[in-house]
Amino acid sequence: MSVAEAPRRERAAWSPARLDRGERIRAVIIVALLLLVLFALPARMSAYWTNVATQVAIFSVVSLGLGMLIGRVGLVSLGQYAVLALGAWVGARLCFATGLPFPMVLLLTGLITMVLGTLVGLPALRLSGLYLALITLMLAAAITVVLNATNFPNGGKGFLGHVENDFGNPEVRRPSIAETDPAYFRYAVIVAVVLFLIALLHVRGKPGRAWAAIRQSEPAALAAGVNITLYKLWAFALASFMTGVAGGVLAGDVGELFVQQFPTSNNIVLLAVVLMGGVYSIWGAIVAGALFKLLPALLDNWGLPADLLTILFGVGILQVLLTAPAGLVYQFPRDMKRLGGALLGLARRVGIAGGRAS
Amino acid sequence: MPSWQEFQPFIVTGLALGGVYALSGVGMVVLYRTTGVLNLAFGAVGAMGALIAWQAINEWGWAEEPAYLVCVLFGGVVTLLYGLIFGPPLASRDPLVKATATLGLALILLGAMSWIWSDKARSMILPTSTESFQVGDVLVNYTQVLGIVFGVVVTVGTVLFLRFTKLGTAMRGLANDREITATLGVPVRRVEASAWLVSGLISGVAGLLLSNLVGLDAATLTFLVISSLAAALIARLSSVVVTLLAGFVVGLATALATPILSISEYRNMAPFVLATLALLWLSRKGHTISGRAV
Amino acid sequence: MSIKLVLGHSRRIVAFAALAVGLALFVAACGGDDNGGGGGKKSDFGGKTGKTASKCGLGNGKPASGAPIKLGAINTKQPGTDFTEIAKTAEAYFKCVNDNGGINGRPVELIQETEQTDPAQAAAAAKKLIETEKVAGIVGSTSIIECAVNHKYYEANGYYVIGSGIAPECYGTPNYSAVNMGPRHSVTGATQYLIREGVKKLVLLQSKVPGTEYIAGGFLALAKQEGIPTESLAEAPPIQDANSVALKVVQAAGDGGGVVLNFTPPEALKVLQAAAQQGLQDRVKWACSTPCNTDFLADALGTTFDDKLGVNAELALVSIDAPDTNLYKTILKKYAPDIPLGSFSQFGFLEARIATDAMLGIKGEVNKDSVNEAFKNVKGFKTDMLCKPYYFGEAPLHISNNTDWTVTPKTGTMVQKEDCFEISEADAPIKRVRDIEKKEGLYTPVGG
Repeated sequence: MSVAEAPRRERAAWSPARLDRGERIRAVIIVALLLLVLFALPARMSAYWTNVATQVAIFSVVSLGLGMLIGRVGLVSLGQYAVLALGAWVGARLCFATGLPFPMVLLLTGLITMVLGTLVGLPALRLSGLYLALITLMLAAAITVVLNATNFPNGGKGFLGHVENDFGNPEVRRPSIAETDPAYFRYAVIVAVVLFLIALLHVRGKPGRAWAAIRQSEPAALAAGVNITLYKLWAFALASFMTGVAGGVLAGDVGELFVQQFPTSNNIVLLAVVLMGGVYSIWGAIVAGALFKLLPALLDNWGLPADLLTILFGVGILQVLLTAPAGLVYQFPRDMKRLGGALLGLARRVGIAGGRAS
Repeated sequence: MPSWQEFQPFIVTGLALGGVYALSGVGMVVLYRTTGVLNLAFGAVGAMGALIAWQAINEWGWAEEPAYLVCVLFGGVVTLLYGLIFGPPLASRDPLVKATATLGLALILLGAMSWIWSDKARSMILPTSTESFQVGDVLVNYTQVLGIVFGVVVTVGTVLFLRFTKLGTAMRGLANDREITATLGVPVRRVEASAWLVSGLISGVAGLLLSNLVGLDAATLTFLVISSLAAALIARLSSVVVTLLAGFVVGLATALATPILSISEYRNMAPFVLATLALLWLSRKGHTISGRAV
Repeated sequence: MSIKLVLGHSRRIVAFAALAVGLALFVAACGGDDNGGGGGKKSDFGGKTGKTASKCGLGNGKPASGAPIKLGAINTKQPGTDFTEIAKTAEAYFKCVNDNGGINGRPVELIQETEQTDPAQAAAAAKKLIETEKVAGIVGSTSIIECAVNHKYYEANGYYVIGSGIAPECYGTPNYSAVNMGPRHSVTGATQYLIREGVKKLVLLQSKVPGTEYIAGGFLALAKQEGIPTESLAEAPPIQDANSVALKVVQAAGDGGGVVLNFTPPEALKVLQAAAQQGLQDRVKWACSTPCNTDFLADALGTTFDDKLGVNAELALVSIDAPDTNLYKTILKKYAPDIPLGSFSQFGFLEARIATDAMLGIKGEVNKDSVNEAFKNVKGFKTDMLCKPYYFGEAPLHISNNTDWTVTPKTGTMVQKEDCFEISEADAPIKRVRDIEKKEGLYTPVGG
């Protein structure tokens, strides 16, 4: 039922004590990388790249949510981008309506979006595969129509909180410790790390095993006593919570939100980048976030048209579905290894030939 | 609330809009029933065909008829090529994977279209769009009629073909179980190829008609499939006849909400809400609709 | 076996992608060929070119050299909406300036950024222009959201933007002065035309963009002053059921009513074509805000709306024979033959021309401070493309373009229907701007 067979890597329940040597080394590397991203990077990045990097952090979380649904549980949703829009709406609304500290706003945004997103995922109890994907696409399109009519909150009165004038609107506030762009980038990365850890705990824990069972075979999972309804909804709830928090961070990033930035078609693009990044690894989500937000910036800087990106995503979908179900995170190192091997072989041959010639 | 008098013309425009949904819906279901592939690139292929026809007429100075022919052929050839190249390796995969792969094709075509024909507005008017006749208060043009007629013809044709011809029986078998059908000596590849070709030609014709009925714009036509899918979903992607009827129901519901100004802004939800409700209704009593081809 | 299979698939994908891209390039090449040879329909100059044309910059024919003066522009570019023509035309004008002595010898370079109605992209683009590229000024920006997202940033950094706009903040904030008047006031202008035509009810139908309610403000204020009942409606583009929409607005307006459309050309065309196909041209009076002022629309409508559609025109018709318009046509032909004549390219031309004139007047070093000071001090910039002179100056809001024309389609092209008239002061922002103009001595009455 899943998009492709997952690489089999069963692990024991996650706890620091049980980390083997390889994992401990990996953990050290990750922490080092994280420190680099948090402290070395912002000082070296221009304002432009700081903004781009913040977006990558936000969309990595969105990608992780969808990636987990697809890779761990075998549920394909084409409505996660609309859930992000809901999260951004709720986040902005809470910021204007309350004086709560920003982390509280994010938590509440996550919880409210979790409820809404689980509603979107509710059909998953009855439908699966293609029908689930299509019905979530239908719901996403419907959400877009509603948002078009309501607009995003921007400091206005009433429930919708939307007002229009020509002298500018108040912005969604940022946390007081992260008013500047570099500080907000750090904030977004830390939020992302926390959400990644929550996801990891789930995957390594009991829910992860239940999801794996459901993905393999629902009847077998049922026979093994897995509560399918509970765990399917749990997956949607978790993905929606993460996406909702990401929406809250997105609302604070620029401070203004527009319906036009959440077209229905982006649900499809999101699926493309998530598949390309890889749905079986947490790293895949970061690759997907980069594909979604970093690659367009790079293309723009190289003077290439953004349309190439659309073509690339199209080719990427086909490539992933046909040859590399685990996505770029698995494929790229393998390709590099193969390329390296080929180059080495070539060099050796040339060296031998050269040795003979001399 | 508008009076009954005022509602009347919207029945006509609703049927015309229903024709639009039915046209793409039927085109997609035909291929799904015969190959088990939901072609989400249906709109993109037609859009590119129509844009090439526009290019031929306006930039290369072609006569209109050969340009339209090229549009239809383009649809057939691209869809057939896709089917020949990607059909076999994906044949044993889940319908969801097959459908997702066609999204890849849709994105490739959309990217190419916005690269080549980015920017400015275009329009291409079929000769049938300029002639019209009166129905009640409303003038109906012949492209609208053509859209509905074409939808009906494709539906009836498909039903008859699947039921009464050898190839049709083979296709039905194929959609059910590729392996067994192949074992029974049906030339699987050839049968599939003809299904791809025909549905491609349909997408070409639909592209021409839709570029007139909805507008000649790559993104609009590409993502029109999302609305048209509603009709197909109400029919559970299996019945061509129900898809056609559902298309008209969706079109009517949308159109009749139009003059009621308080809900007018939300009327475009009609296809999605109807499809969601229909799917949930069809899957009630604990039945699970799986993604496998029926 | 499995490796072979994988390789097979890879080859398939590569082959298919190559095929698709090859096809795309083939079509593009054919198209490009046509543009190169003869220019086709796009640059039809109607035999009126350049009898008396203005000069670009110094007009001395000497190529500029040395370190370029960097300017920046941000435009919306996404499927269905593309404003890059505006910056490209500005760039074409700067090329002409660079071939004619530059800014006192130094060439101008225009760095162009795009955004896809994504606030994060728009904000990042502004930061890139100002902090990475260190541009001296912002000229030629047009975006659906850019003014809203970036106006505070420009204010904080002392940039005065000569652009064209859509978002409300392009007209209501101190650091923007657009060459156009924007949708709100263009809709008001179109409404004034309908009132002069004696309509009994007014219906506004517009595209759902950021600021839809704001745009309707002028329309509602004017109708209220005149005591005419109204209905204000919006449609999310792209319109899929133009027939129903056309019927809806005609019913809402009723007999003797008038309809104002505010859409991009292709969307407006859908509604107008649907109206024509249903024979609704004469049921109500039709009017349109400025985007309809393009020969593309007139051409596509044929003769169905001849003299039946009043289009508010913020800039002069491209067909007039006047110095600046002639220079504009010459420059497009020489430096950017692919860009069609029309409001968008006129915006870009005018913005670049105003900026060049301002920069030529700088005494001493040309840098960010002097350029923005020069931009801010522009006033009384006369051109045949506008009804009254353009100005910037220090003010809480800028709508220097507040007097314009009405045009109408006639056998495939746009022709003038009404001469310059003032946008109604029934709308508060216009009243405010006129008061400022009168106080500062910038006010020029129509015909004056």
